[in-house]
Amino acid sequence: MSLLRVENVSRHFGSLIAVSGVSLVVEPGELRAVIGPNGAGKTTFFNLISGFFPPTKGRIVFDEYDVTKLAPHRRVKLGMARTFQITEIFPELRVRENLRIPVEVASGHRLRPWLSRDADEEVRARVSELLEMGGLTGHADRLVGELSHGDQRATEIMMALALKPRLLLLDEPTAGMGDQETYNITQLIRRLHKDQKLSIVLIEHDMRVVFHLADRIMVLAEGAVLAEGTPDEIAKNEQVQAAYLGNVQEKSA
Amino acid sequence: MTQLIAFNVFNGLIVGAFYALMALGLSLILNLSGVINFAHGGFLALGGYLAYTLIPHIGFWGALVVAPFLTAALGLIVERFLIRRLYGRDPLYSLLLTFGLAYIFEDGTRTIWGASSVPYQIPASLNSPLSSQFFFLTGYRLFMVALVAVAVVGLFLILNRTRLGMRIRAGTSDLETVSVLGVNVRILRTLNFGLGIYLAGLAGVLAAGMLGLEPTIGTALIMPSFVAIIVGGLGSLPGTLLGGLLIGVASGVTTVFFPSASEAVMYIMMGLVLLIRPRGLLGEEGRIQ
Amino acid sequence: MNGRQAANGAIWIALLTMPWWMNALGGYTELGTQVVVLALTAMALNFLLGFTGVLSFGHAAYFGLGAYGVGLTIRYLVPSTPLGILVGVAVGTVAAAVIGALIIRLRGVYFAMVTIAFAQVFYFIAFRWNKVTGGDDGLISWTRQPLDLGFARIDILHNAIAFYYLVLVLFALAAAIMALLLRSPFGRTLLAIRENERRARFLGIPVELHMWLSFVISCLFASLGGTLYALLNNFVDPRALHWNMSGNFVIMAVLGGMRSFWGPLIGAAIFVVLQDYVSSMTENWQSFLGLFFVLVVLFFPRGVLGVLRRRAVS
Repeated sequence: MSLLRVENVSRHFGSLIAVSGVSLVVEPGELRAVIGPNGAGKTTFFNLISGFFPPTKGRIVFDEYDVTKLAPHRRVKLGMARTFQITEIFPELRVRENLRIPVEVASGHRLRPWLSRDADEEVRARVSELLEMGGLTGHADRLVGELSHGDQRATEIMMALALKPRLLLLDEPTAGMGDQETYNITQLIRRLHKDQKLSIVLIEHDMRVVFHLADRIMVLAEGAVLAEGTPDEIAKNEQVQAAYLGNVQEKSA
Repeated sequence: MTQLIAFNVFNGLIVGAFYALMALGLSLILNLSGVINFAHGGFLALGGYLAYTLIPHIGFWGALVVAPFLTAALGLIVERFLIRRLYGRDPLYSLLLTFGLAYIFEDGTRTIWGASSVPYQIPASLNSPLSSQFFFLTGYRLFMVALVAVAVVGLFLILNRTRLGMRIRAGTSDLETVSVLGVNVRILRTLNFGLGIYLAGLAGVLAAGMLGLEPTIGTALIMPSFVAIIVGGLGSLPGTLLGGLLIGVASGVTTVFFPSASEAVMYIMMGLVLLIRPRGLLGEEGRIQ
Repeated sequence: MNGRQAANGAIWIALLTMPWWMNALGGYTELGTQVVVLALTAMALNFLLGFTGVLSFGHAAYFGLGAYGVGLTIRYLVPSTPLGILVGVAVGTVAAAVIGALIIRLRGVYFAMVTIAFAQVFYFIAFRWNKVTGGDDGLISWTRQPLDLGFARIDILHNAIAFYYLVLVLFALAAAIMALLLRSPFGRTLLAIRENERRARFLGIPVELHMWLSFVISCLFASLGGTLYALLNNFVDPRALHWNMSGNFVIMAVLGGMRSFWGPLIGAAIFVVLQDYVSSMTENWQSFLGLFFVLVVLFFPRGVLGVLRRRAVS
């Protein structure tokens, strides 16, 4: 039984077709990368999966539920969590509070005017665990807006993890990072995938990261699927090389 | 009865034309700069009072031309020295600032021209009824409707045919791109503000002759203008125009049957619009968020 | 942390002893009562403005509905102060629940504009419905009624100090509830929405529902403020519903510091004292007030407590 089934989705903005007839199946425990040149529709595709806006056509099934038109917070409840290409956090709150909010939401506390001592202990313990996992314990009481870019990214990923998702959607997790930070984040994602068997879909520009992490890769170009397969297959695919890798070389040259 | 209804529909149309003229100015500023100009009513009153002061010297027609320009000039100064400093900040601050300006305008006009309504001379040639059966069709009222129509057509011509207007429209839909293309956004916003205030000044000169001129004239007109914008659709100037006329006529008709609800009816319309079509009759999708 | 406790203690001591020092400073008890009543309303507004990040410019509506609720109840239905307060608060809260549901999908300036416009509905009703509300002249011929506690009667009408303490008790209750909520999981979801609505939504918070709840809670306490305002004056007129009043509440919150729990209290105190003083000096109180708005926005946007806190940090 597959975890996520995207069936032939399209999204139009006026006359612009951002995503056209894309399908994707993600199995439990899989790490899937979505790559493609700028403007290929990757982020739009992510927005469709996470419920930012509904698709113009097509169907999205998550864990046997049709979520095509479901509001984002309901998808979260079913077990989807995402990060954004441009870090979305609560800048003027402390790191601890940034994590505490999703922990409380996931524990079903979000409407409570107070917590019992036990529930409070539980929440605190979970927050500490997440701080530890993200390497953020030392920054717990700082405002997250004051942290380095890398630590902010790590906070955002931990916020998504706080929701105990079954599917984690990461939109360019290493964007704008230095080598050391990229390495740290890559190791973090690897641990989540290997140790916790978490299913992950990620968009990524850094090919080292993609080929290091992904079980399978989907290549988008101009809103449609150009190729799909294992990292080896994609690396050998001539179409991909022509359309995408060539493009990257041009850019880096 | 027919006559009474016709009278009130026509009356509503005139009042609606004022709402629309005022709301168009508000809308221009709101759409390009994200500022709700609470002082718009104050500018309107100022336009009326400037005309009142000018009429003995240069006559009604002279005042009709000069007063709106003077009002707009003050608008440019206010934008340049006060409102400009708040672009890009929380909209709360521009709201509070223009709110304060509205206080100053109202109190200022009261101090200069007195709290009670002042006599406002309109040319005798415009003041006589055109027919005895439709006594309410005075030349002045028809003239007003015609002039509002000219102003609205003029505005849409400016927006669609001139370079300034096209830049204003482009800036409204995508300010970033426009600034990347080398348009000076600061100057664009200043001129756009001036244009909006010009419309307020013009509405002031006209409204004074019809509603009587007193310091609260602007405050009385600003709320309906908000309603006109919301009903017509956020971000849409034709919507604003439609909204203004619609609520004007609706409150005119209500006056016939249930006079004490003549104001409430426009707010009921607003509630209905928000319930059924939150972005307003002609509003663009996505603009509200 | 200790600094905060000391500040809280100082505020409560100042409020509890107000009748003793107010007269010594040349004020009068009613002035202090007015500060507390308006502070309650400004704090209620700030629950939404400063802690949820939602810009309401129409809180006079709920304030005024509370005021008319209590006035009309005592005048026409039952001569009971507590019942009047309950009715006033209920009316304001129900109106907020309905209007809130209509407007909660709007954002930013548009939300502000619609809240202002809706507030006018109630203004016109109060203004036009002469027979019941007294129209422009206001609702007269009623006074706050003595409190009957069963074992004792407290004459809050003639004893200004007794009425002050009644107001203070309700203020304390409201402040305690708001403070509790802001430290709760629910309160943290509101901060989350203020900080980053998109992030909040994609962390599984139904943003509209939480905003609506915050709006209703805020309006509930604003209408409580309105009932006390009417009781203080033994009078209510349409100006309690006017958008000028809404603007005054916003400036109180900003002046004191929107990001601080006690900010609006400080703002209300400055506002009321200044109004009392300046309006006795000049007829142009309105121009002065307008200038005050402009100056606060240009030079003091963080408010008193915002500036103090910055100083403390640096």
